[in-house]
Amino acid sequence: MAEAQAFETDFWKDANLRKVWDEIVPGEPRKTIPYTLTKDAIELYCKSVGETHPIYFDEAYARTTRYGGLIAPPSIHILLMFSCTPADDWMRSPGTVNAGQSWSYHVPARPGDVITLQARALDKFIKRERLFVVHDNVFFNQKGDVICSGRGWTIRPM
Amino acid sequence: MTTTFEKLKAGDAIDGPAFAVSRESIRLFCDASLDYNPLHLDDEYMKGNFGKTNFGGIIMHGMNNFGLISRMITDWAYPAGAIHRRLETRWVKPVRPGDTIQPSGIIKAKQVTEKSRWVLIDVVVKNQTGEKVATGEALVEFPRDLFCQ
Repeated sequence: MAEAQAFETDFWKDANLRKVWDEIVPGEPRKTIPYTLTKDAIELYCKSVGETHPIYFDEAYARTTRYGGLIAPPSIHILLMFSCTPADDWMRSPGTVNAGQSWSYHVPARPGDVITLQARALDKFIKRERLFVVHDNVFFNQKGDVICSGRGWTIRPM
Repeated sequence: MTTTFEKLKAGDAIDGPAFAVSRESIRLFCDASLDYNPLHLDDEYMKGNFGKTNFGGIIMHGMNNFGLISRMITDWAYPAGAIHRRLETRWVKPVRPGDTIQPSGIIKAKQVTEKSRWVLIDVVVKNQTGEKVATGEALVEFPRDLFCQ
């Protein structure tokens, strides 16, 4: 897993470089990095949630389907959110609590896709003494097709 | 029996897979999602308070619920030639190692639009004691050019 090895798994490292709630500017784009989605990464994600459908694993089967080849599960954006952002992205701040989200799916991600992300904080607010940030995200493939778009709410660490 | 848009009706149920949560399953989800937030890894850190909340130990990624619901929806949709188009979720209770969780869905409504056909599904994930840990809503498209798999 070359991608996983290059990835900094200690989220405390660089924590001081990440924006706290006060510094997050709604509307300001987040830094993102292109990511090449591999068959290995898809298979590891599938294993983690028990996905067994052949459309993710069996090339010959996948060719007979509407998609004409292997695809990733729609929820692969769970991985893409971290693989398309740098180590100082505030989504990695230890203690960030996911409070809910909605995702819309257009074309599937496929092994070999070079995936880019356009993302920003859209809003921030305080509710019951908790600091919230709304983030919005759109993932594209190398052809410029939208893979999926999503909006989420996180409670920021204090 | 193959699901078809015509046969579906409000109240029809969808059963999802049971999923045993362990420290190992959470660690695997860290590696698969690259989400290494200490909420899911660090017992010492989790002894502390989060505002008014104390989790008392590591918790499963909320997005693991999301992945299970998505798996249930796609496994249901693919054989019918249908396409998973949207999922909205929120977390109700934390999930811990030792819990067994299971998603399920209930058809809420059908909608025909100018170009396609849609099914709204209420989704829920419950733990081994029947408590809701996650709730949400999914939207599945049943295109007229059915391509069953």
